[in-house]
Amino acid sequence: MTQNSSSVPAPGESAAAPAPAKLRLANVTKTFENAGQNVEALKPINLEIREGEYVVLFGPSGCGKSTLLNLIAGFEEPTSGEITLEGRRVTRPGHDRLMMFQEHALFPWLKVIDNVVYGLGWRPGYRFRPRLRRQKARELLKLMHLEEFARSPIHELSGGMKQRAALARALAPDPKVLLIDEPFPALDALVRARLYSELQDILVRTRKTIVSVTHDPREAACLGDRVIVFTGRPGSIKTEIKVDLPRPRDINDPQVAGYAGKIAALLEEGQRETIPGEKV
Amino acid sequence: MKPSPEKKFRLYVFGFYLLLFVIWQALFSLRIIPDYLFPSPLQVGWRLWELGNDGMLWPSIKATLARMAIGFSIAAGIGLVIGMPMGMSRVVNSCLKSLFLGLQTLPSAAWVPISLLIFGLSDSGIYFVVIMSSVAAVAIATSDGILHIPPIYLRAARTLGTPGYAMPFRVILPAALPRIVTGVKLGWTLGWHGAVSAELIKSSIGLGYLLYMGRELNDAAQVLGIMVLTILFGLLLDRFLFGQIEHRIRRRWGLLTPA
Ligand SMILES: Nc1ncnc2c1ncn2[C@@H]1O[C@H](COP(=O)(O)OP(=O)(O)OP(=O)(O)O)[C@@H](O)[C@H]1O
Ligand SMILES: [Mg+2]
Repeated sequence: MTQNSSSVPAPGESAAAPAPAKLRLANVTKTFENAGQNVEALKPINLEIREGEYVVLFGPSGCGKSTLLNLIAGFEEPTSGEITLEGRRVTRPGHDRLMMFQEHALFPWLKVIDNVVYGLGWRPGYRFRPRLRRQKARELLKLMHLEEFARSPIHELSGGMKQRAALARALAPDPKVLLIDEPFPALDALVRARLYSELQDILVRTRKTIVSVTHDPREAACLGDRVIVFTGRPGSIKTEIKVDLPRPRDINDPQVAGYAGKIAALLEEGQRETIPGEKV
Repeated sequence: MKPSPEKKFRLYVFGFYLLLFVIWQALFSLRIIPDYLFPSPLQVGWRLWELGNDGMLWPSIKATLARMAIGFSIAAGIGLVIGMPMGMSRVVNSCLKSLFLGLQTLPSAAWVPISLLIFGLSDSGIYFVVIMSSVAAVAIATSDGILHIPPIYLRAARTLGTPGYAMPFRVILPAALPRIVTGVKLGWTLGWHGAVSAELIKSSIGLGYLLYMGRELNDAAQVLGIMVLTILFGLLLDRFLFGQIEHRIRRRWGLLTPA
């Protein structure tokens, strides 16, 4: 297929030489111990993510997607195995990785713009340059169509606006890897579609390495270069799909829908015993 | 035009107080209790007006409020400084919490004798009583507030790269603010009790002193009048100053369900 209308080559394309793995997960497992009871959340996971790649983790509820993201973010340590970012071992949260949570987690004591500025304050290049921080925050808010709300308190924003503000805050410090846990839940279809296109705009512009989690096969197909499909609990990688479509992709594009169908079918396959959303 | 429910409630409240005054006046008119023990609302109002004209009232109110402002600021500061390590360390918390809960059960007036022993009749004794009455409430609220911070804020702060030294003031304290403000409000009320109690005995100015003078002079109208004023100022600051701040913070922190 030669569908190259965009100037930026998708990393999934075989034509370009594969970039070296940026993030490497080697035999990573996680078992939670709760009051003497062991819950095995993740079976050995092996995964390599390249620079500029958008990888979507997709699987039934409770299969350990959030756990894996927490491990990469450094909030938790793997029970066994190793996670390395550019060769260095991940043991705790750091400047090179940034997690965006399912809840927006914006700080209510700060105005919208100050939330975006916040993360910059700890970065070497911005440390003692408040004006530069503001300027960068303004640019990002503009990108998210939030410039009018820069000085608003958080509680005056709508749900979709909060998510966009959270995205601006996550992008501001320019982390090497952005981790997104179910970024756009409970938003109406229109807002979601807009967020997807905005996110892709940024992707094309900044070529950021992103790992995100979703329940929604369409979202996976729309955003991911690669979709990693997980088995039910304890989670392991069942298979993966390369989404070979040019960006930006429209969530309603039939080709995206085609991939979404494939992804959904993979999840169903042999998953009779773990229904997504079940309570264990 | 239909009045809004809010306005209707206000009307009821106003009616309730009117009724209270009518009953008070009626009890007085029936002369069940001798009038030198039980003055009428008009006599009380008249006495307060007289006190005001004599230049006794306003300086006393100012004195009590000033003592509260200074004493309580110190108390709030100490409470925060003690409450923060309590909230951040389980060990410190388990040691200090029971102590402060115990201290909180002590009536404010119970601090007066010890303050007399230590400070004599000096003004610093009043500050001592105010501080001791309110510090525990602020400290406990601060530590509880910190212990109840939604973990998501702490995780967000960490992933955004907040260094450890910046956590207490950039994240932990603001995230705990709603509960801290509630504790500050309670602390203010307890401190107010303490201030008036201490003034009863150790002062030559202030609302407590006027209460004491009223008793010395067998002036029931003055005693009741000052009591009413003490309630009014306590309520005013509690409801309209601290209450407003608390409401705003809770709304901003998304802790109020929009009506
Ligand atoms: N702190 C913890 N202690 C004990 N068990 C945990 C803990 N966190 C997660 N688990 C367990 O690990 C498993 C994976 O949880 P995780 O949150 O990663 O699932 P998920 O794939 O993100 O699910 P969902 O799609 O519903 O968010 C679950 O069975 C959960 O009960
Ligand atoms: Mg999850």
